[in-house]
Amino acid sequence: MQEFIDTFHIDWKLMIAQLINFGIVFLVFYLLAAKPLRKLMQDRGDLISKGVDDAKKNDAMLKATKAEYDEMLVKARVESNKIFQEGQKDLEQLKAETMEKIKKDTDEWQKNRIKQIEIDKNIIVESVKEDIVSLATLAANKIMDEKNK
Amino acid sequence: MATQTENNNIQPIHETTIYAEPVFHVGNFQITNSLLNSWLAVLVIIVFCLALRLKLKQIPSKIQHVFEILLEGALSLCDQVTNDRKITLKIFPIVTSLFIFILVNNWLGLLPIVGSVGYFANEAGHSVFIPLFRAGTADINTTLALSIAIVVASNVFGIIAIGAWKIFNKYVNIKALGGIATKFRKDKNVLIVAPITFFVGILELIGEMAKVASLSFRLFGNVFAGEVLLASMGAIFLYLLPTPFLFLEVFIGLIQALIFSLLAAVYFTIAAQDHEEHGEEDHEKRLAHV
Repeated sequence: MQEFIDTFHIDWKLMIAQLINFGIVFLVFYLLAAKPLRKLMQDRGDLISKGVDDAKKNDAMLKATKAEYDEMLVKARVESNKIFQEGQKDLEQLKAETMEKIKKDTDEWQKNRIKQIEIDKNIIVESVKEDIVSLATLAANKIMDEKNK
Repeated sequence: MATQTENNNIQPIHETTIYAEPVFHVGNFQITNSLLNSWLAVLVIIVFCLALRLKLKQIPSKIQHVFEILLEGALSLCDQVTNDRKITLKIFPIVTSLFIFILVNNWLGLLPIVGSVGYFANEAGHSVFIPLFRAGTADINTTLALSIAIVVASNVFGIIAIGAWKIFNKYVNIKALGGIATKFRKDKNVLIVAPITFFVGILELIGEMAKVASLSFRLFGNVFAGEVLLASMGAIFLYLLPTPFLFLEVFIGLIQALIFSLLAAVYFTIAAQDHEEHGEEDHEKRLAHV
């Protein structure tokens, strides 16, 4: 053993010094390089996976929203169609009612008008009759007057 | 200095020694050229880590991106060894800092100033060239210290992970010996199996020492052999001839750092596993089949 120590000049102080050197390297590497670099990579990895998760969630949400939108669009179309149909029906009914009312009103007005015309005609006829009578009377009087002269 | 030595008619000795030479002393403590190089390596690592820390951003720059790729790669490599992300995250800082420390030490040993810048000292009447720098891992003190630290740390990690009693029984298997009394009636084979299991525990203890030896000598041997190889090639022909070997040493430096740190990861993983549990499960399964 002594021969081995003498041949290679083994010195425990040098060994401790080299161990201290290695210890410094270990601490420096761990604290300044490995730990912060790994933390940084871990944080970035987390950030990326969170981003991917968010993107997946957003994609799912977008798909759900699109499906909901499509569904609502179909519903709205059906609803609007129904409203349109009902409106058209109401309009037709209203139109028919209005037409009927107009017809009724027109008929009534026409009837009233005819009645009025009839009355007016009668009045005019009566008046004309009266005038004719008066004129005939007047003429007769005149003729009588001339004869008497 | 060379002129001075020529004047004195003494041929200066310039050879690569198997040990790190002391450059100066602080009291009793001798500062070797390897230790100087290790301090330089520590300084380089601190500067790099500080620069990285200051430039960290949520949206990474190109350099940060490269570091992130390296970090992910290292984590995935560690995962392949441990097969468990939790263990990986626990041992990753120590294994990676070990890799960086060894790699920077190995590569700093290849700089032109290493081995060539130094001074002549008079030792036993000879003028000897003492280089100011020598690769930190080309000194057995460094590799031995790191190996011992790793083997001790792996056992401490094992104690934390599975408990002190189980780790103690891994080496001194009292449980197996105790099993003779409890399992003898059910299974007579325990008389043979228990002492063998106890002996295997002792072998495990010797294995821990072998781990220290293999880890330290593999790294030291490779780096030191590289230095010798480069010095030899330089001695044969200084220009261009060492270049391919320099590239080879860059590659060996990387491979050796990787081997050392991966083996450390393996030791940590083995220490955190409860073999007895698996063994008992297997034994129960076998009995169920019978």
